[in-house]
Amino acid sequence: LARLSQDQLESEERLRAQTSYSTALVSSRREPPPYGHRKAWVPRSLEDFGDGGAFPEIHVAQFPLEMGRKKKTSNALAVQVDAEGKIKYDAIARQGQGKDKVIFSKYTDLLPKEVLNEDTPELQKPDEEAVKEVSQLQWEFIHGTQGVAFNSGAKQRVIRMVEMQKDPMEPPRFKINKKIPRGPPSPPAPVMHSPSRKMTVKEQQEWKIPPCISNWKNAKGYTIPLDKRLAADGRGLQTVHINENFAKLAEALYIADRKAREAVEMRAQVEKKMAQKEKEKKEEKLRELAQMARDRRAGIKTGGEDTEVRERDEIRHDRRKERQHDRNISRAAPDKRSKLQRDQDRDISELIALGVPNPRSASEAQYDQRLFNQSKGMDSGFAGGEDETYNVYDQPFRGSRDMASNIYRPSKNIEKDTYTDDFDTLMQNNRFVPDKEFSGADHGQRREGPVQFEEDPFGLDKFLEEAKQHGGSKRPSTSSRSKDDYHDKKRRKE
Amino acid sequence: LLQDVQKHSVHTLVFRSLKRTHDMFVSDHAKSVSMNCIGIILVFYKSIFHSIGVALTADTTMHRNPSEGGIHSMALALPPSQSLLEGGGTRNSTLARKAPTMPKPQWHPPWKLFRVISGHLGWVRSIAVEPGNQWFVTGSADRTIKIWDLASGKLKLSLTGHISTVRGVAVSNRSPYLFSCGEDKQVKCWDLEYNKVIRHYHGHLSAVYDIDLHPTIDVLVTCSRDATARVWDIRTKANVHTLTGHTNTVATVRCQAAEPQVITGSHDSTIRLWDLIAGKTRATLTNHKKSVRTLALHPRQYTFASGSADNIKQWMFPDGNFIQNLSGHNAIINTLAVNSDGVLVSGADNGTIHLWDWRTGYNFQRIHAAVQPGSLDSESGIFACMFDNSESRLITAEADKTIKVYKEDDTATEETHPVNWKPEILKRKRF
Repeated sequence: LARLSQDQLESEERLRAQTSYSTALVSSRREPPPYGHRKAWVPRSLEDFGDGGAFPEIHVAQFPLEMGRKKKTSNALAVQVDAEGKIKYDAIARQGQGKDKVIFSKYTDLLPKEVLNEDTPELQKPDEEAVKEVSQLQWEFIHGTQGVAFNSGAKQRVIRMVEMQKDPMEPPRFKINKKIPRGPPSPPAPVMHSPSRKMTVKEQQEWKIPPCISNWKNAKGYTIPLDKRLAADGRGLQTVHINENFAKLAEALYIADRKAREAVEMRAQVEKKMAQKEKEKKEEKLRELAQMARDRRAGIKTGGEDTEVRERDEIRHDRRKERQHDRNISRAAPDKRSKLQRDQDRDISELIALGVPNPRSASEAQYDQRLFNQSKGMDSGFAGGEDETYNVYDQPFRGSRDMASNIYRPSKNIEKDTYTDDFDTLMQNNRFVPDKEFSGADHGQRREGPVQFEEDPFGLDKFLEEAKQHGGSKRPSTSSRSKDDYHDKKRRKE
Repeated sequence: LLQDVQKHSVHTLVFRSLKRTHDMFVSDHAKSVSMNCIGIILVFYKSIFHSIGVALTADTTMHRNPSEGGIHSMALALPPSQSLLEGGGTRNSTLARKAPTMPKPQWHPPWKLFRVISGHLGWVRSIAVEPGNQWFVTGSADRTIKIWDLASGKLKLSLTGHISTVRGVAVSNRSPYLFSCGEDKQVKCWDLEYNKVIRHYHGHLSAVYDIDLHPTIDVLVTCSRDATARVWDIRTKANVHTLTGHTNTVATVRCQAAEPQVITGSHDSTIRLWDLIAGKTRATLTNHKKSVRTLALHPRQYTFASGSADNIKQWMFPDGNFIQNLSGHNAIINTLAVNSDGVLVSGADNGTIHLWDWRTGYNFQRIHAAVQPGSLDSESGIFACMFDNSESRLITAEADKTIKVYKEDDTATEETHPVNWKPEILKRKRF
């Protein structure tokens, strides 16, 4: 290409030169006057020089082709031409380097070369000798022994290396705290990339990125259709996966609910049956009672002789019942206290109201208990505005002392209500020992228990003992009774 | 390597075969090609098309071997042209100005996995083989350096001392030293007689990614994430040169005895060839478009290869002239290794290994080894690979914490694993 263009230029010039001679009246090309006729002539313009250079015989400063003038520095490189006449375009790439530096700038440097045979000399490694020489030189270089200097023909020179004396008191000679920017790097090498591949329309389409439509911001206030707003949402791309354990849980709950209902139903049925049975039993009992009552009435109406006996029996029965009733109440009563004890704790106003006689000991003034421990007076009222205080009740329900006293605690003085004096002295007294004894009576024998048995004449003790030993197995009445109880209980459960 | 048979029309196949034959023989009589060739080609085309057109109706397998048919008919059709006859036969050395342009790739036996060594507790990042080929060293992300017996694969020794991933290891063949560098900015020299660290090379400002030893001079070169490579004197621990110029992490560095002695590849996608004496860049190769993570120097030839995510490129020394592209491994290439037989191995970040014929750039095998049981499938990646000194075993350091050893499959022959290679139809661009 370069050669062609140069040829072209030359041919054009020639043509121009020819035309200028033939057509122009006044030739723009001025030739300087030939040698010898230049006496009064001074070249003033560029064209006065023609093809040549400065005229040494004309003593005027001349600048043919503007060469030699003191120009302002410009970066422009002069066009250089190589040995074959081709313009060296890589002079730009070689600006800062030495002319020997290897720089690849041509397109041909990029092309793959022919595959060479292995034996070609270009591919062979340089000789070992050459290599050794270089290595030797380098070794000397690195280790500081320079080549032999001139010393009038001697092959070797003996050199003595001496360390230069350093003054121990000398401060450092150079300032090393200054930071200077790095110098410019060497000029960059031309980039020899192979031309990039052509991009097909299809590939370009693949790299298209759709514009971003934010779900939050809309700075310019564009109105964007809804389908574009949701385009990047990825709605249709995901399938929603629900864990199957949810279904399992629902099923389990359903089953459990059904089972519970069944159980409740069954229980209700059973209870109904039980209730019915109870009802029937009660009805039976009532019927029996009614029957008995009817019989008795009938019996009373018919029998007259036994009425008094019966009346007495009735009275006895009633009285027994009353006594039992009283005993039951006294045993099971929640207060579990005697009348006297109860009266002790009563407030004086209550005792007066009841008409109880004055208490024996009235050492100190007795106060109405209702006056104490009240949350009125100074302590009463608003409680400072606190609304979290729980002041619906001011006294505990029933009080703890009632609970404490509900629990059965047999005290040592249990006999005190029946025996007001010391139990022991009563036990020890000898009131029933006669002063004067009857003659012939047994005395001096200490009694062990209320009835003193004498020696067994008929061997009844032995008999009873034997009977006891075999008692467990050979008592039909008790065993049958226990069996009956067990069966009864079982029936009741069902 | 099995590839899907591309379905083309008969017309296309025939034309391509014609073109290939033309390209194959054009170099032998390059001077006389110009005008005659076009006419000749047209004649070829007509004759072959007629001949094949008749036969093809019945025989559909013909389309697989069009080149044979083409040559045959060409030979028949043109007895008179002498130069062509000469060219049509063998490659005449006196005639051929250039080497043949369509060389067939050399056959290499396929490689297969034969040992998996586990023992590391983190990614295995680097490998180095001892010059006597008895053992090899691996550096790992678990901060240890382990020495394994090469023959049996058993662990011999574990060295601790680094406080971060060990990124590079190198064994010296001139002294009993092992050198290691890590992401903790440390470069350590271990004495293998005492198994202790004897020297530290202090100066890097950031993680040190690779290390290499000069074969003839007692000098060590390391490269780092601080965009420099540093040259250290092994004995005095002095930082002889700091090779600046890269603008991003220097990922790989290689040393050789011949000029240029230091080559670095960086994440700024450039490769720099350095003049070790001056400490200056000799040439900058900017052909790559992505980070250059690995370099491999050919053991016999005066060439090297660089691996990057876009391509693997081959270059010539000493100026770094571009030779060719090895494309096809479309992954981030972490490591390259070259054999004397001309086998180039590229290991990638996704766990695949591609094996290439160095001279032609033909990919003859692809391996993706399974991960160690217990690892995820995504944990497959190769960080380093190296041939042992006998060049019969390939050792790879992987991301599933194992070391895999491969060897050539002895049972394979050219028939069982044929070279499935079709010459590239070069589209000559005018420039």
